[in-house]
Amino acid sequence: MTAILECKHLTHYYGKRKIYEDLSFEVPRGRILGLLGKNGTGKTTTINILSGYLKPRAGECRIFGENIQTMAPSMRSRIGLLLEGHVQYQFMNIVQIEKFYSAFYPGQWRREAYYELMNKLRVAPGQMIARMSNGQRSQVALGLILAQNPELLILDDFSLGLDPGYRRLFSDYLRDYARAEDKTVFLTSHIIQDMERLVDDCIIMDYGRILTQQPVARLLGTLRRYTCRVPEQYVPDLPEEFYHPSVIRGRMETCSFLPPADVERRFAELQVPCTDLTSELMNLEDAFIGLTGKY
Amino acid sequence: MLKAIFYKEWIKLRWYMLLALIVTTAVAGYCLLRADRAIELRGAGHIWEVMVLKDAVFIDLLRFVPLLAGILAALVQFMPEMQRKCLKLTLHLPCPQQRMVFAMLAAGVAMLVACFAVNFAVMTAWLSAVLPAELVTNVLSAAAPWYLAGVAGYLLAAWVCLEPAWKRRVLNLAVAALIVRAYFLAPVPRAYNDFLPWLALYTLALSLLAWISVARFKAGCQD
Repeated sequence: MTAILECKHLTHYYGKRKIYEDLSFEVPRGRILGLLGKNGTGKTTTINILSGYLKPRAGECRIFGENIQTMAPSMRSRIGLLLEGHVQYQFMNIVQIEKFYSAFYPGQWRREAYYELMNKLRVAPGQMIARMSNGQRSQVALGLILAQNPELLILDDFSLGLDPGYRRLFSDYLRDYARAEDKTVFLTSHIIQDMERLVDDCIIMDYGRILTQQPVARLLGTLRRYTCRVPEQYVPDLPEEFYHPSVIRGRMETCSFLPPADVERRFAELQVPCTDLTSELMNLEDAFIGLTGKY
Repeated sequence: MLKAIFYKEWIKLRWYMLLALIVTTAVAGYCLLRADRAIELRGAGHIWEVMVLKDAVFIDLLRFVPLLAGILAALVQFMPEMQRKCLKLTLHLPCPQQRMVFAMLAAGVAMLVACFAVNFAVMTAWLSAVLPAELVTNVLSAAAPWYLAGVAGYLLAAWVCLEPAWKRRVLNLAVAALIVRAYFLAPVPRAYNDFLPWLALYTLALSLLAWISVARFKAGCQD
């Protein structure tokens, strides 16, 4: 599959603080890819680099094969951008904002897609965006992206500030649209449950690096949580293939991509004093916590 | 596309510009009424004499009003862009970014100049009725740098407002204050006469500063 978006060897620092080093990933055409990471791991930094609002210390990002930093202005019409918190021009109302944006996308603007969503909102046409709730604002931002009808959508923390109903509405609408129209989506969210319903592939980031990039179905089909009984004073010192082992009241918990038989064999080799070893598959939120740890 | 940018700036600025027009015209009108009263009390001859011998212009109250109007216009126009980094939306539009930024500035300058032009028209109309042409020119030439300061104040405030880092904003503010000083060096008639075209060019050149702030915003500069 052709990569619509590719980042190679990205390195970025804020002052002396390293955000990440040598980060590479790509998003194939027609896939919905979610970037998952704890606060401060560089999700928004990545979005800022991708949307051209941050120059990385090293490395480059290409969208549709063009370097973002030198991209022709017309290429931006093929990219839909949703800023964190569904930021839009607060001083406009829903009619003015549609009129404003439509002028920039002649031939591709789908006015009816925008108004279809706006009609569901039941807001007065003259109501300023500044006086709308977060949920309503999210629908305005989504409506504008749907009307723009871009090939690639870059969405920064789309669930920020939304109640469960609006979160579900946003993610379902987006998923149906992306699948039906073969759109490529790159998104971040701090609410992992929403991602599970929406994304095909995920990148899980830890501080300064990518822990894993793979289809969500494969991740959830291979990553297991292992629990077993260990002596109270046991301090786990396991190799890297076991993520974040912890012992609480004589019960050890860790995550691994290894199948149960291999884990049993490795524990025996490592002389882990464990009994009652059990394994289970997890949902995306548990998988995320399993890989990144609770702290 | 430029029409759409003007439309957006118009939405932001229209009510402020109406207010600015009313306030600046009201202050200009008040200055003229004061001069009118002085003419009634002392006679036109005496006032002409004072204007010629003592370089009085009778519109001193107006001195910093255009500057204030310009600064506030920039704040009204660019604060919403910087609020929650809304400027990213503007810069993401499929239009050359420099063209977009300069179109935004051009929209602001055009509205400000229209407002100032009304002030000048009111002053010219009233002064021409009570003063000889030379004295009218004296008054208007004294006011011209103040109005140019209004445009400069707008462009400099835009520069400060669009700057993404607070430390740099403070530095820009200090530099802007020094630049604005050049417009208020000699509050007497015809002091800037030969220099006025250069001052106008210098004022327009200040628009380039805003692009420096936008370039820094794009590079992700922050405190």
